[in-house]
Amino acid sequence: MSVAYSKLSHRRRGAATVAGDALLDASDVRVRYGGVEAVGGASVRIAEPAVVGLIGPNGAGKSSFLAAIGGQAPIAGGTVLLGDHDVTRLPAHRRARLGIVRTFQTASVFDRLTVFENLLVAGVGYPGAALSRAVTGGARAKAATAAARADAVRVLDELDLRSLSDNYGSELSGGQRRLVEIARCLMCAPILLLLDEPMVGVAPHLVRRIGETCLRIRDSGVAIIIVEHALEVIEAYCDRVIVMAAGVVLDDGKYDDVMRNGSVRDAYLA
Amino acid sequence: MVTWNIILQAVGFGLVTAAIVGIGSMGFTLQFGVTNILNISYGNILTVGAFAALLAQQAHLGLVVTIIAAPVAGAVATWILARTVFAAFARRHGGAFDLILVTLACSLIIQFSIDAAAQGQSFSFSFPVGSTVHIGPFVFTVLSLGLIATAAVVLGLLMAALHLTRMGKALRALSTDPKLARACGVPMRKILDLTWLVSGALAGLAGLVYVTNSLTVDAGAGLNFLVLVIAAALLGGAGSPIGAVLAALVVGIATEVVAAIGGSYYSQAAGLAILAVVLVARPTARTWGGTVRDEVTV
Amino acid sequence: MSYYLSTVAIYFGVDLLAAWGLNMQFGWAGVPNFAFIIFQAIGAYVTAVLTLGPDTGANSYQHYVLGMQLPFPLPLLAAAAAGGVLSLVIGIIAMARLRRDYQAAVFLLIALIATQVVSGDVGLFNGSNGLAGVPQPLAGTLSSLSLSEYQWAYAGFVAVVCVITLLFLRRLGRSGWQRALRASRDDEAAAGALGLNVAALRLQVFVLGGAIAGLSGGLLVSFITAWSPGGWGYAETFAILTGIILGGVANNWGIFLGTFLVQIVFVEVPSFLPEFGYPGLIDKLEWILIGFMWLTVLLLRPRGIIPERRYKAGIDAAPQRNVSRV
Repeated sequence: MSVAYSKLSHRRRGAATVAGDALLDASDVRVRYGGVEAVGGASVRIAEPAVVGLIGPNGAGKSSFLAAIGGQAPIAGGTVLLGDHDVTRLPAHRRARLGIVRTFQTASVFDRLTVFENLLVAGVGYPGAALSRAVTGGARAKAATAAARADAVRVLDELDLRSLSDNYGSELSGGQRRLVEIARCLMCAPILLLLDEPMVGVAPHLVRRIGETCLRIRDSGVAIIIVEHALEVIEAYCDRVIVMAAGVVLDDGKYDDVMRNGSVRDAYLA
Repeated sequence: MVTWNIILQAVGFGLVTAAIVGIGSMGFTLQFGVTNILNISYGNILTVGAFAALLAQQAHLGLVVTIIAAPVAGAVATWILARTVFAAFARRHGGAFDLILVTLACSLIIQFSIDAAAQGQSFSFSFPVGSTVHIGPFVFTVLSLGLIATAAVVLGLLMAALHLTRMGKALRALSTDPKLARACGVPMRKILDLTWLVSGALAGLAGLVYVTNSLTVDAGAGLNFLVLVIAAALLGGAGSPIGAVLAALVVGIATEVVAAIGGSYYSQAAGLAILAVVLVARPTARTWGGTVRDEVTV
Repeated sequence: MSYYLSTVAIYFGVDLLAAWGLNMQFGWAGVPNFAFIIFQAIGAYVTAVLTLGPDTGANSYQHYVLGMQLPFPLPLLAAAAAGGVLSLVIGIIAMARLRRDYQAAVFLLIALIATQVVSGDVGLFNGSNGLAGVPQPLAGTLSSLSLSEYQWAYAGFVAVVCVITLLFLRRLGRSGWQRALRASRDDEAAAGALGLNVAALRLQVFVLGGAIAGLSGGLLVSFITAWSPGGWGYAETFAILTGIILGGVANNWGIFLGTFLVQIVFVEVPSFLPEFGYPGLIDKLEWILIGFMWLTVLLLRPRGIIPERRYKAGIDAAPQRNVSRV
């Protein structure tokens, strides 16, 4: 694929995997909200770029598990490793800089920024958002901005969103918001992309477009975990499926194998 | 010389302050819990209640009417305000913070309307204080005991209503999860009206309680309690009257004890600082990157 | 008349600075700083106690710290620094990741605490009586000027400060930093998930806005030569906010317009009306009018008269037809 993936090859500050390390290794993760344990010891290991589906009945802890990996939920136990980095105690923004980028259940496009600005703010890079650069300006800042603009245009074209560049986030339809959210993630040159129910409320042709985009993203070296309810989507686009119920992982494997598992069927019916 | 006696007396005074703040906080937390609107004009409803009592007194309507006038005025004023102004903005999908700005504007309008009508003057208010009563090391007047008792009775009635009556349970449901409550067929309009009326009545009552202590009524009556009322309500947990009262106790007693030990000018600051610190630390006030309840229910 | 105009000009300049400062925090970053006025106040107090001589002899009717009689423009620079430092301290303590409405309540509490502390601690800034007799800058050097000429010179100076600040804000307003702030305003969690350190960003804008607030306070007190808690109650923040909301949130020229409308039209024009009712009635009616104005603006044009400008990407509309092949 294009733009952001070319960034991967010269990715800043080595979140790069050391040979032998898995891309993601989350083991025995526990998440507690108040007195309730939302995730009670879940693990996932992703060795290579793949599209991994995360399914389960309501309340299974899928979003909480995603939040634990992404940094939005405090981890009460267990560890999360990205390559050879232990990110367990890192706040979300540090994890994002290392390569863990995510979307949210309610499409979190910035409402009062245009689509182009949504991408720019993700792509200019952390030095670009610095106050010092704002005050002093200079040639380096200009070059970085120009590069970010070029990247943004390329990502927009890849997802065929160019015509929406000057629209405010609040002016977009549901499906368009999802696409912009994913485009924004691409600007960050992710290593691990977490998608929280990206297809909800999206028209079928857009579902296909998002799915195919995910495959292209995987092919350029990014691992994706996608939480979804629609099993057809999971079956069509996921290399591997993880099933959660009641805060733990029930099964982990290919879609057909997992669907044949009796306890998985019971969990959905329970 | 600071003795245990003095500290205990301060605790006693703190109980009175807590009663005054507590009545207001209970009303506020009820309102905020159900509607999710941080209503800054709530303080001005206290003033409305105080003036209603003043007018009743000046018209020589007797003590009972004077006492009843305050909560009635508060209830009516709140209900009208909510059903006209707040509803208009909520209909336009105003979020929680946008509504705060609306309540600010309303606060300005109410305060200065009262001030204009009152010609900027303050009026003296009389209320029977009763004799001094010594209970162990504590020193109270009959009035202050009455205030504490009122707060306790209000708390008891509220808790009973919220937990034992159908409407009360429906109100708690609405306070916890409005979408779910709506889906379960809770009678929204009735509960909301009830919320506005009851919380408004408590605000009016708090205004009366405040002026029985200060014995003057002006357009700013009760406003310097407003921030304490809000902070105690938030600290105790939105929608929880008992939490509001506990928080009010913390503030009231801390304020008076610090005054007894250190001198009165830092005491108010200390009470406020305690509230600020604990408020910041309170987990439900924080955003954890999850969804925060932004919609209001009017 | 000349006095009047120059006085109004100076007040307008100070209000404008304050509004721009608050707008950085509220309009750009979404920080509901309902305690803003205390940062203007600290700037005023610091300027006062650095310009005044020690509180002995002729000054012994008031009690305050320092009293260093520093020459212009040092006290003004100190005012900005004071605003910035106080913002840093309060920002670190109070800007936890709170819901916006809880955050607003915390700031209100802080404003009240500040008023209590300053009013109570008489030795600090002379308590609720406040400070008076603050020497005006360069009054000795410029003593050849008439009072009216001095005021116009002061107004000119305030105008220069405003222009410099505006240039600075325009530069900041076009930066990636400002865009990051707006992103964190719109969706804090999403901004963090994209690598933006929202807490650090907010602290930075809080300190900068506080420094501008302090500067405005220094300019104000050096002109009116007195300052007391009565002049910086928490409602004053709402007066500044009125100009922002009316004129245009996050738009510097909108704020210029809004502050002009509120300060000049609303406050000054009524003073030319014939006195009716009792003395002071007009003031109260003004506040009522401001309240109604808020409601109208919030209802009809919530982004203000001149809203935030839309960023035009400047790429041509013809979309690339080929999505890159797999």
